[in-house]
Amino acid sequence: MYTEKQVWDPLTRVCHILLILTVVGGWLIGEFRTFSIMQWHFYCGYATGGLVLFRIIRGFSGPTEIRFSSLLHSPHNILRYAATLTNKQPSGTPGHNPLGSLFILLIVAALAGQVVTGLFSKDDALFFSGPLASFVSESTVLSVTSLHNLNSTVILVLVGVHVTAILFYWVWKKENLIKPMITGKKK
Amino acid sequence: MFNNPRRFGLILSLLAASVIAVPSYAADDDAIGKAIKGRQAGFQLYSFYAGQLFAMAKGEMDYNSELAATLASNLSSVANLNNGMMWLPKSDNVARAGDTRAKPEIWASDSDIGAKAAAMKDASAALASVAGEGLDALRSKIGDVGKSCKGCHDNFRAKDF
Ligand code: HEC
Ligand code: HEM
Repeated sequence: MYTEKQVWDPLTRVCHILLILTVVGGWLIGEFRTFSIMQWHFYCGYATGGLVLFRIIRGFSGPTEIRFSSLLHSPHNILRYAATLTNKQPSGTPGHNPLGSLFILLIVAALAGQVVTGLFSKDDALFFSGPLASFVSESTVLSVTSLHNLNSTVILVLVGVHVTAILFYWVWKKENLIKPMITGKKK
Repeated sequence: MFNNPRRFGLILSLLAASVIAVPSYAADDDAIGKAIKGRQAGFQLYSFYAGQLFAMAKGEMDYNSELAATLASNLSSVANLNNGMMWLPKSDNVARAGDTRAKPEIWASDSDIGAKAAAMKDASAALASVAGEGLDALRSKIGDVGKSCKGCHDNFRAKDF
């Protein structure tokens, strides 16, 4: 018989939903920025920064299944899991499977990089600058702003892969990963 | 003067050096480099005038109607300069990597950079007509100016040198 067991604790679930809002919001406002909405890009960015920092802290001290120590898998393990990916059955892992773990590490790093580069970025058409841009040279600001633009595409791709994977598990493996992230329970 | 062979040799070599130096002096007189510097200076002027107007609109600088009117009128004036001579062929960021961020697309036959420049002229003229009439009036028109700057940069300016 199936039993429901708690996989994601409430704090993880709340932070995840907030992160979706701040990253999607920040991304859209950044991409389609205008003078009147750009300030909200910064607010979304700071909120994302706070959530990422909190995630990093919890990566060391939070529940076992979200700790970085549980997310670090050897390349061998990741490949072995990847080889079973097309099996029409749920992964059976209570927390993140090895590929999912890799994704978490990548998205946390990419988001942290996005927030840090944002702090030094400058838009000289709408006259908005990250709060630290004035502390570094003009040429540094230009290269960091390019990185911020480039990394925003990396984040878009990562989010795309994440959503596609969830749909793939749902349709192909008949495993609903969305419900546990909302209710915390997994069969 | 020429009875001292050493001095004769020195003068000869000085003459030779000056002849060799002439072509390299001509190469320093780089018309494309000057045109690039000229147009960048023009954008720095845009940035100087617009920067203070944006600062006022954001409340980072006190609104002063006289200053706002002058800044906006100057911005509109410089936007109307005909600086076509600064956009020499081969002054793009491929031919002059490191000196300029102007993309080759500017010179493409189907380039709509003229329309982008016209949009900025219109936006800055509209701003100039109201900038002295209060902060709300300034705010109502400044967004279009930023949009016009961004519209051109997105298509025709590289992110980095
Ligand atoms: C019609 C196109 C166009 C419009 C409109 C435009 N720009 Fe630019 N801008 C450029 C190009 C192209 C460059 C790169 C010039 C170069 O490096 O040779 C540039 C460069 C700049 C620079 C950097 C100059 C430097 O020293 O390297 C600033 C600052 C700037 N623009 C500000 C503005 C502002 C502010 C506005 C609006 C008020 C604006 N621009 C409108 C095309 C445009
Ligand atoms: C959630 C985190 C963030 C995301 C997803 C994000 C995303 C983006 C995107 C998609 C763009 C448009 C890129 C482009 O034009 O190609 C952008 C631009 C920008 N962002 Fe962010 N950003 C984030 C955080 C920040 C932070 C924290 C700051 C500063 C406090 C910041 C400052 C800027 C600036 C100044 C620009 C304009 C750069 C330019 O002119 O090209 N961002 N961002």
